[in-house]
Amino acid sequence: MVDKMRLAGVTYSYASGKPVLESLDLRLQPSLFYGVVGPNGAGKSTLLKLLDAYLKPQEGTVFLNERPLDSYSLPYLAREIAMIPQHSHYFPFTVQEMVLLGRTPFYTRLGRPSEADVEIAKEAMEVTGTGHLASRLVSDLSGGERQRVTLARAFAQRTEVLLLDEPTTHLDLEYQISTCRMLKNRTEEGVTIIAVLHDLNLVASFCDYVFVLDKGNLVTEGCPTNVFTPDLIEDVFHVAVPRLNHPVTGRPVIVP
Amino acid sequence: MKLRKVALIVILILAVVLVATALGSVHIPLRDVLGILASRIPGLRGLVNADWSQAREVIVLRVRLPRVLLALVIGGGLSVSGVLFQGSLRNPLADPYIIGVSSGASLGATAGLLFFIPQGLVGFGSLPLFAFAGAMLATWIVSRLGRQRGRLEPTTLILAGVAVSAVLTAMVSLLMVLRIQNLQDVYVWLMGSLSGRGWQHLAVATPYVVVGVVLALWLAKDLNVYLLGEEAAHSLGIDVQRLQRLVLIIGSLVAAACVAVSGVIGFVGLMVPHALRLLVGAEHRRLIFHSLWVGGIFLLVADTLARTVLSPTELPVGIITACVGGPFFIYLMKRGSGYHGR
Repeated sequence: MVDKMRLAGVTYSYASGKPVLESLDLRLQPSLFYGVVGPNGAGKSTLLKLLDAYLKPQEGTVFLNERPLDSYSLPYLAREIAMIPQHSHYFPFTVQEMVLLGRTPFYTRLGRPSEADVEIAKEAMEVTGTGHLASRLVSDLSGGERQRVTLARAFAQRTEVLLLDEPTTHLDLEYQISTCRMLKNRTEEGVTIIAVLHDLNLVASFCDYVFVLDKGNLVTEGCPTNVFTPDLIEDVFHVAVPRLNHPVTGRPVIVP
Repeated sequence: MKLRKVALIVILILAVVLVATALGSVHIPLRDVLGILASRIPGLRGLVNADWSQAREVIVLRVRLPRVLLALVIGGGLSVSGVLFQGSLRNPLADPYIIGVSSGASLGATAGLLFFIPQGLVGFGSLPLFAFAGAMLATWIVSRLGRQRGRLEPTTLILAGVAVSAVLTAMVSLLMVLRIQNLQDVYVWLMGSLSGRGWQHLAVATPYVVVGVVLALWLAKDLNVYLLGEEAAHSLGIDVQRLQRLVLIIGSLVAAACVAVSGVIGFVGLMVPHALRLLVGAEHRRLIFHSLWVGGIFLLVADTLARTVLSPTELPVGIITACVGGPFFIYLMKRGSGYHGR
């Protein structure tokens, strides 16, 4: 199968010091839900920023559809890759206005969103359960509601790749689960999803494939069931866990 | 934007302009103001009966009208510049002076007033040029200092602005201590005033404000996206670095042109965009449009009060903008809903 995105020998370091990511190779195939895990400082967020062309690697190349990322224009990339960063800012936009910002790559500088754009935004709000908030101000919403509005904005971008940096952080259990279900549903429509997640159990339950990063290197990768062994958890996260499996799904359960 | 709403706004502006032109130490009846203005419009000249005195015509056309129009332009310009700075630094407390425009302009103007103009090297009319040069120099220094690893960093930029402004303001004080002639002129300039400004001042400031507003509207969509944060804006196709640079340049040019002709008028550029964001939301096209006319009318009303309340003594307009604006701002802040960009 053709890779949707690919990293070849990518090294990135911030101004001073040693590389945050070192000669990293990885492949992302269409329609899969990828999880990225690792301890703090492993380079997870940097990986997402490289995939989004927000950062440019000092060495190596990031490919999208087998073409180097820097051969595309930014507006073109905005129609291919959507990103939900770790930190968002919330200004007094209404929820509908904010979700419609996801359509900005699709109309001109002086133009306005078309009927079709509004429909797509509405649909994204329905999917994320934020339709009833449409005319509320984002700045008045709760943390969990904002997170879902942010998700709706990224869905409205209708991209084939969706990058998320800790999308479940401010959510209660119900919304953590429903967010992961929503993401899973997107992959069935052909979207490639790469999410940095701290909750290994969410990764074990929902992700098709997981990359484990530690100190800028890819430690291992594969199906969570094979990857999340007690040895790996101990090596990477320095926590001893027993080997447990979910009684119904058979997927690994990680508890100390 | 509905056409009817725009028409209402235009009518409101015209009404305020007419009333402001009529008011002053010499009262001129509205009928005469209308007549004098109509007599200058080719198609309407035949319709009016020129029965006003020559003095009134001079007051209206040479003194009041340019000043009234200048107040509109400066108020609108400072407000739009405030929108640009608050937007590009994503900080609701940023104002047109944050990156050293006012302190640079003050130093430029003070140097001009103390060293060059009294020596007869250049005329008094060149004061705006000194102020403008000072403003641009300070802006350049601050925006260089506001970079980290080649990227403009809003917090660093604001801190650099505060530091550079402190140094430049100290230099203004130093100059004033070292040279005590012409201090009166310096004080008046530093306080900000539209007193004695004429058509030539209007001609200096207007092109910058017009071009600035057009460019601001051109960038409005990008600024909306930019409010989401740099990474999110990037993923929506915005070249964040380029946008920041452009917006800072445009905002500084507009602010510098305004300060150069009027001196430092505080509060308008901070308060008007902030208040309007509470009233009409953060969408930039709307915000820029409303800031332009509300800022203009606000400064015009303030300036009209400044020259009438203690007539014939004139107050510096900055006193009025702060006294009227401050309480209104607090009222909005207490009433308004969750503005703070958390």
